[in-house]
Amino acid sequence: MGQPFHAAVRDFLDGRIWLRRHTPFKQDIIDRHIKEGFIQTIPGIQTTNAFLNQKRHICNRCENNDSTQFTTFQCAKCEGLCTYCRKCLKMGRVSSCTDLIIWSGEPILFPTKHTLAWNGTLTPHQQKAADELTDSTENGRPHLIHAVCGSGKTEILFPPIHQLLLAGKRVCLAAPRVDVILELEPRLKAAFPETTIVALYGGAEQKTEASQLVLATTHQLYRFRHAFDAVFVDEADAFPYTADLTLRQAVQKAAKPKAPVHYVTATPSDELLTTIKKTGSISTINRRYHGYPLPVPRYESLWNYEKQLKKGKLPQKLNEWVAARLKKREPFLVFFHHIGLMEQAEPLFQALDSRIRSVHAAHPDRKEHVQALRNKQLPGLLTTTILERGITIPNIQVAVVGAEQKIFDKGALIQIGGRVGRSVNFPSGDFVLFHNGITYAMDDAKREIGMLNKGSMGI
Amino acid sequence: MNRCLLCEQQIDRRPTWQGLLGVEKKQHLCVACSKSFQRADIIEEGEIFDRVHSLYDYNEAMREFFHQYKFLQDIALAAVFADDLRTILKGRKVVVPIPMHPLKRVERTFAHVDELLTRASISFHQLLDKSSTDVMGEKTREERLAMEPLFKLKEEAVIEPITYTIVDDIYTTGTTLKQAAAVLKESGAARVEAVTLIRA
Repeated sequence: MGQPFHAAVRDFLDGRIWLRRHTPFKQDIIDRHIKEGFIQTIPGIQTTNAFLNQKRHICNRCENNDSTQFTTFQCAKCEGLCTYCRKCLKMGRVSSCTDLIIWSGEPILFPTKHTLAWNGTLTPHQQKAADELTDSTENGRPHLIHAVCGSGKTEILFPPIHQLLLAGKRVCLAAPRVDVILELEPRLKAAFPETTIVALYGGAEQKTEASQLVLATTHQLYRFRHAFDAVFVDEADAFPYTADLTLRQAVQKAAKPKAPVHYVTATPSDELLTTIKKTGSISTINRRYHGYPLPVPRYESLWNYEKQLKKGKLPQKLNEWVAARLKKREPFLVFFHHIGLMEQAEPLFQALDSRIRSVHAAHPDRKEHVQALRNKQLPGLLTTTILERGITIPNIQVAVVGAEQKIFDKGALIQIGGRVGRSVNFPSGDFVLFHNGITYAMDDAKREIGMLNKGSMGI
Repeated sequence: MNRCLLCEQQIDRRPTWQGLLGVEKKQHLCVACSKSFQRADIIEEGEIFDRVHSLYDYNEAMREFFHQYKFLQDIALAAVFADDLRTILKGRKVVVPIPMHPLKRVERTFAHVDELLTRASISFHQLLDKSSTDVMGEKTREERLAMEPLFKLKEEAVIEPITYTIVDDIYTTGTTLKQAAAVLKESGAARVEAVTLIRA
């Protein structure tokens, strides 16, 4: 071998799987590293013959193998039939004639000096869960932290993450939603001031330095391969993580072959519970960190609310609820099941207070509006289920309009209720389900909250 | 299991007699996504090209569509407007897509106008060659109007005194279409019409 490798190239590429033509480095630098064996190339799409001359494709980046997610075309570059993956298209197209590159030289040596600057104390319940999680990590066993909303899940992760960092290991904290990552970033940066931390999500600024602690949306893990000694998936049941098999495979692929993948959630799916029961261990916390019970939802009928809203009339009960919040100066969230309906209702709410805004996943000012609600510049927000988790605002009051809708399943309702009463100073609050008929999901959520509360009284 | 090409949502549809007989057309978009495009049918007549028919307005949805199609190279999207293009181009004698520079084509891995026509099952004749790699979208109006000829006739091409139809994705200032039409007319075309997907 001739020249040594560029440290910057290694720092960027180690643990990642990247498009050969789209690195932050000049093409000739990458080519030289490939020639000298520091970087290995793999074809973008792997194609094998299957039954009756049909082709089976696998995308080597996102591991998608759903035949409906591939398109084959006559390629002008390789002058033949070429197949590309539509699943991870938005990260730059991967096709049969695209090379992916992985680092195959010396791995990065991460520092072993880290401080945990968080100076709170864990409750006995949190401490127990943290110890169990550390133990599972040491034994390479997947672990589920099943903890109610507002029980301080993030803090439970601090000791095990600290342990891993001290051993020079690389750690990933992943969550399906950007909002969760955005909320976690400042907290982790404050807790681990000496650690290199990077937050990756769609639209984040790209950095080339090596980071030992990676915060990422689960989508971004498509771009990692055998990188982490442990992966923690926060809010493990949030859409699209639950719905998408490819995403789950991507998380597994991002971890080193025998590294454990841990899950943290308040509402684990039955599937997750059964898998973990078979292969790993579970810690349950049914008490909030401040010890007060979870807010129990109350039902309010709001017959034909959809018709009324479409007619330009704010149903009376909803009107009164919002007016009461405004009068008491309590911040509030109103959840809707459908963006269109929410936008129709927005001017009706604005008639009560012109500062009320609405947010949804694709809203350009989503981050700003949520921040404005935190800063008390806005009295309240209308939202889709996008804000059902990960956000903490003291004294927030919550209403769900159309709680009978399918999208509000048991998990979603428990999460939404989990926004209420999270702070010690305001440990309770109103959690009202405006409905056009009571569903099983509503009853299930209410019953589960009741059971968790009973459990927490008993201890 | 049929998903919308743009939003990946499942397309819900009712069973129909056509479906039962297996002659139903495949839906590529969900209702919401297909509604986001604004059909315009703008027709303009001119000196150099005789008639331009532009099918859609250039709105935000269309901008995103073309970003995904051309920049992210999502060729599957060529199917989205296949029906519209087929309806308007069916029966036309000679369809001539605006060509791409060969280097540009290799870089993108496909010629986007050709691909739109292929998916619409419209046969076309590549009669023109593009002589420069300049990109229209990066130029001002003045620069576009003052440019060297963009196209030349292919050496083996024979132009007859009949009607030719040029196809392009977008009609902005008309420089591209005018230049292509001029080449065809100078070589003996009787009438040159144009069809573009959008009018900016």
